[in-house]
Amino acid sequence: MNRSIKAAVAEGVDEIVIKNPAARHNIAVGIRQSCKIMIEGSVGYYTASQLDGPEVSIVGNAGWALGENLMSGKITLSKNAGASVGASMRGGEMFVGGSAGARAGISMKGGTLLIGGDSGFLTGFMMQKGRIIVCGSVGDAAGDSMYEGTIYVGADVGSLGADAKYEEPTEDELIELWAELQRSGVDGKPRFRKIVSQKKLYHYDTLERLERTLI
Amino acid sequence: MCGIAGIMYKKSRSRGLAPVGDQLVKMLETMVHRGHDSAGVTVAGESLKSDLLIRIWADESVPAEATISQAKETVMRAGGAIVSAETQDSYLRLAVNYEGDVPRLAEALLQTPGVVLHSIGETSEVIKDVGTPVVMDARHGISKISGTHGVGHVRMATESKIDISHAHPFWAYPFTDVTVVHNGQLTNYHGMKREYESQGHHFQTENDSELIAVYLADKLALGVDLNTALEASLDDLDGTFTYLVSTRDGMGYAKDRWSAKPLVLMETDSVVALASEEVALRSVFTEELDRTEPQEHEVMTWSA
Repeated sequence: MNRSIKAAVAEGVDEIVIKNPAARHNIAVGIRQSCKIMIEGSVGYYTASQLDGPEVSIVGNAGWALGENLMSGKITLSKNAGASVGASMRGGEMFVGGSAGARAGISMKGGTLLIGGDSGFLTGFMMQKGRIIVCGSVGDAAGDSMYEGTIYVGADVGSLGADAKYEEPTEDELIELWAELQRSGVDGKPRFRKIVSQKKLYHYDTLERLERTLI
Repeated sequence: MCGIAGIMYKKSRSRGLAPVGDQLVKMLETMVHRGHDSAGVTVAGESLKSDLLIRIWADESVPAEATISQAKETVMRAGGAIVSAETQDSYLRLAVNYEGDVPRLAEALLQTPGVVLHSIGETSEVIKDVGTPVVMDARHGISKISGTHGVGHVRMATESKIDISHAHPFWAYPFTDVTVVHNGQLTNYHGMKREYESQGHHFQTENDSELIAVYLADKLALGVDLNTALEASLDDLDGTFTYLVSTRDGMGYAKDRWSAKPLVLMETDSVVALASEEVALRSVFTEELDRTEPQEHEVMTWSA
């Protein structure tokens, strides 16, 4: 199917509709040209992963690792996402209308992951850049071992992860966040909490400890 | 990586039995990419014409025919009346009328050379084999078995050898009808196994997943209810796990604190179905469905 999508896009087709995906895995993977892909139904693991450019819209649920390694483009999911949504994404936008499982935005390196509902354990684990906006609550260990980037949480935080801390968002940030919510069709203006790295767990040294002793 | 599945028809006792065997095979075959070393199911709630259903595999340490013959003699010597005996290669399925002590019968069978006891049930049986679910079904006719509920497993062996006994489900010896399927690895297996063995519990394999069955058996023996036993396991078991348990009239799941192994859940007024992947649910329920993903450190139980 992915070969067919790539071939169609290469021939100039700019809108593709996939019907009855029946929760199968690896749908719309590795597409690196601008196009619109509509998926009508729930999908399995690694859907719309390794994308660079397309806009993918999914009406249904998604399994683990939706939009893994997204470079650019936009992914919209109407219902719930499984674990590791947006893992290692480097750019683009992702919107989850429902809730997300554990490890949302794990190792994220850029872009925006907006979750309309809640997200689970270890949200933003080891994230390095980008933004995760969760309109509902997040589970335990939020922002654990994050290097850079920001997590905004609209409701409750189970607990902060190692090396994460709260920071007060500015009014301008909140206004911008509320505008983003409105653009995505999410009602309400939650008073977001902001989670960032304490930056105590890692160092900017370019040399490993053993290398330093050798010099 | 392994795949697990479970299904329960909540009102099947009043509405009639459901094609649980067929649906478990379908769900497992859809997840065969998660493990094709071995497969197995528990089907529960069958219409039985005997007190007990005993599932034995002859491990071929002695000729299978001799093991099967001696197993039958053991059952009769223990006071059991054999209602029917079906053999399939090295497998024996015995329907038995028996009013004695089940642990004593189980112990006698385990002392019989070559006997590996896969299950003793009042309403259920464990069927497992090497290979894929479709191969297993062709040999054992699982898809013809109706019931109220059941669980199943496809295995990619990581912790112990590939053979029939190391396949799932694992029976919680000697508790009738309590069986477990597990996806994950237990890191405190050896310590807990030694502890249980010192208390007299039996392990039939080197598979870490068998520990969960023994663990639940131990809790149930103390009078703990299933839901409480599952909750206690969240902290007592170390490692990664999502497991399903099937009992005489119930089913449940437990998911570790890391949410490391997947599970999706679909529930309506009449049926509850669980699987490692939604694609397995869709092999049985073809319409678009609402499903949830249980999170970390969670248990849930249902009654048939």
